[in-house]
Amino acid sequence: MVISPAFRARFSEAALAYCLLLPSLVFLAAFTYWPIVRSIYFSFHDVMLGSDKIFFLGLENYERLWTDKLFWKSLGNTVFYTLITIPCAIACALLLAVALDSKLRGMTFYRSAFFYPVMIPSVAAGMVWVFLYAPGYGPINSALAALGLPKVEWLYDARWALPAIMFMSIWKYSGYFMLILLAALQLVPRDLYEAAKLDGVSAWHRLIHITIPLISPTLYFVVIIGLLHSYQIFDYVYVMTQGGPADATNVLTFYIYQNGFQYQDIGYASTLANILLLFVGGLIGLIALVFGRRVHYLGH
Amino acid sequence: MATLQDPIEMAAPAFSGPRWRSLRKVIRANGLHALLLPLMLLWISPLVWIVVTSLKSRTEVFDPNAGFLPAVLNFSNYPAALAVAPFGTYMLNSILATGGILLGELITITLAAYAFARLNFPGKNILFTLFLLQIMFPIYATFITNFLTVRELGLVNSLPALVVPFIASGYGTFMLRQAFRQVPTELADAARLDGCGHFGILWHVYLPLVKPTLIAFSIIAVVTHWNDYMWPLLVTNSEQVRTLPIGLGLLAKSDSGADWTRLMAATVVVVSPLLLFFVVFQRRFVDSFMHAGLK
Amino acid sequence: MAEVVLQGVSKSYAGRPTVHAVDLAIADKEFMVLVGPSGCGKSTTLRMIAGLEDITSGRLLIDGREVTHAEPQKRDIAMVFQSYALYPHMTAYRNMAFGLLKTSRLSKEEIDQRIREAAEILHITHLLDRKPNALSGGERQRVAIGRALVRQPKVFLFDEPLSNLDAKLRTHMRGELKRLHKELGLTVIYVTHDQIEAMTLGTRVAILSQGRLQQVGAPMDLYMRPANTFVATFIGSPEMSLLRCALKPNGEGSLVHHAAFDTRVPERLEASEILLGVRPEEVIVGAADAPAMARGVVERTELIGSEALAEIRLGEDRIVARTPVMSAPPAGAEVGLNFDMARVRLFDAATGSAMPRL
Repeated sequence: MVISPAFRARFSEAALAYCLLLPSLVFLAAFTYWPIVRSIYFSFHDVMLGSDKIFFLGLENYERLWTDKLFWKSLGNTVFYTLITIPCAIACALLLAVALDSKLRGMTFYRSAFFYPVMIPSVAAGMVWVFLYAPGYGPINSALAALGLPKVEWLYDARWALPAIMFMSIWKYSGYFMLILLAALQLVPRDLYEAAKLDGVSAWHRLIHITIPLISPTLYFVVIIGLLHSYQIFDYVYVMTQGGPADATNVLTFYIYQNGFQYQDIGYASTLANILLLFVGGLIGLIALVFGRRVHYLGH
Repeated sequence: MATLQDPIEMAAPAFSGPRWRSLRKVIRANGLHALLLPLMLLWISPLVWIVVTSLKSRTEVFDPNAGFLPAVLNFSNYPAALAVAPFGTYMLNSILATGGILLGELITITLAAYAFARLNFPGKNILFTLFLLQIMFPIYATFITNFLTVRELGLVNSLPALVVPFIASGYGTFMLRQAFRQVPTELADAARLDGCGHFGILWHVYLPLVKPTLIAFSIIAVVTHWNDYMWPLLVTNSEQVRTLPIGLGLLAKSDSGADWTRLMAATVVVVSPLLLFFVVFQRRFVDSFMHAGLK
Repeated sequence: MAEVVLQGVSKSYAGRPTVHAVDLAIADKEFMVLVGPSGCGKSTTLRMIAGLEDITSGRLLIDGREVTHAEPQKRDIAMVFQSYALYPHMTAYRNMAFGLLKTSRLSKEEIDQRIREAAEILHITHLLDRKPNALSGGERQRVAIGRALVRQPKVFLFDEPLSNLDAKLRTHMRGELKRLHKELGLTVIYVTHDQIEAMTLGTRVAILSQGRLQQVGAPMDLYMRPANTFVATFIGSPEMSLLRCALKPNGEGSLVHHAAFDTRVPERLEASEILLGVRPEEVIVGAADAPAMARGVVERTELIGSEALAEIRLGEDRIVARTPVMSAPPAGAEVGLNFDMARVRLFDAATGSAMPRL
């Protein structure tokens, strides 16, 4: 058989490509895809941490979800946290970005002031806010008292614990979203604003009808980033409340951790992890479906 | 022509005149500041609180009559914090783990991004999708089975355990591929005529030209992994391999809210390396995070 | 000695042929221009010579040695790119030294000497420490040429090197390239889409269309004796007018019949229909009442400075004539026309190829 030189060249190009991808693929397979495959497999089995024995359970783990009140509570908390925190953080970020998208004095300082929480380890942030929220001597309650308002137990009050963590999350991530949006705003042609101003369009309508449609691809991107960052709520729950009080702050990631490491039930923890992946994946898919087509691509 | 433009001024002559007008101008010019300043104070107050508390004495914290600022600057909290836990070891581990992840990531993403940007091979689209999907499967969703894998590899409670799950980066590969695709193909052609093979082109042409992207990626990677909490928490259980965030968490747990001054001093120690870098290389940091999503 | 020989060189992408069996021999010290409209395969052909594209079939020889599938750096060639392709992160000096460091075994001193010499020739000695983004378009061009010169290759390849320059600089660089070719005795293969560049630079010109070589020859040869209608209309501006005529044998010669005129040619030709190719300067415009071969109506006249171009309707066809400015006929005027029949070309209307003239 005669192999043409052109064929040989194409073959060696492909061989080189696979060699270059190999290091990434090894780690990708071992630490991203193998765990997922395994997690699906385990969800149909009874697996205990530290035991080699595996028993087939069929759908039992999934049936257990229906009657597991704590699962529904943690799922509800996760949904509540995600659906409130992300829109609030993005709205806050958008307002900050619009305000900072001008030749304002002290602009760099403002930008850094809003952005620095991103640099702080989640554990440090969580701890400081435990202090700030402290019922007796915490500065937030001191401030409330100074204003003549009733004190709140915050992290020790089942009604307030989750909102308190959500408020902290907004503080931590708005600055990041703001920076990304600011970059997008700087690409919006100035003459669009000027034309609208000449037409007598108010600032609010300029925001709704010009700015937001033009930066919609970036907003879409920020929503996805926000969703992925919302996983980090585990760190805050772990540091600040350990899921309490009365599981008011128990979220899926933390519940998975409890099942896997405290109750050592890997099978059920895997089942929960699959639900979490479905939830986030479904949400991203839904957003892509609803907004993905409508986003206005500037010049693309 | 101000009188014609401004009906209020005509209706209320008492409020007209240059003084009143200039005051309104000042308000309009500083309206943004009026909005931003309180928000900014709210945003930096936790940081201020950390620093202020770390300089107080223990009784001041719980004394409702004490002022916001410490009566006497009390630096003894810092040596106390450093003495109670091996922060030097933690710092070294943080540096080794973050450095290891960064080095590994830079190698894997450079090679993979070059393949995706410049080579043709069967299965390219499927493989690229696999890389991209990794962004949707963070460690927070796979930690249970990942922990088992790492344990089976005998890596639990070692530095490699902190590093291996993060070596491959779909996000970094994507970012760098975009940057590589911006490099004109004629430059690669010229390099081939100058005697470079694929690795020569990568080393002499592509990498020098995408330096800004490499720096941006490195900054984001360092910030992310320096602050990692959940994974190190799961795979470390001795002082020799713990990182700064884990050490801080342990200190908080053992203190259980009794010794806020010492804890806040420790917090300052933990947060200051990155914040210092941030202050010094502010432009670079801001640019990196700003454009990370747009490239 | 550096000859380049292409024997049936072809290229296809995914089974679709883009260059068809090109046979071409470039002699030592020749300035060969490959010219044609965009997509004609001229750049692909050059890139195959450079080794940047695989040759699907055929053979390529440089200096008698087969290099059909050799790596680019083993072909002893250097190339100047359309965008110059200077490495943005290296100084002009480093740009010129880079290839030598990689491919030659020259010492640092020898490399330095070569760069200084090339820089001297190109008048860029004062620019050697600058990076490309601190150079103007013309200066970058010189550095790119310098990078090729220092390699002292057997063959220089140029891929539309002047197309990014403004008109004035382009004319100037054209002169420079001509000077370099002559003074240094270079063998050059040069790709362009600009027929004026081709005509002024090339010792020989190869015209390509749709991946096929149409004609190779000295510039004036192509102008005077185009092999087919494509070459005839591609070379020359404004382009040659083609008039469709019926042909009848008549004694020794042939009778040519057009709706607007009848004439005869001394050759006896075996075709029923021909295209009569007339260049603007081969049309003599006279007054309407003067004796003339044909009569037409002027549609529009353009003054281009030294002379005028008149577009004249002739039956169903249009023909362009070049006249002195002073005697340019106004639009709407009826004029008498005579063709310089000894120079006019005849093409077979069915195949488009030229018919032999006496």
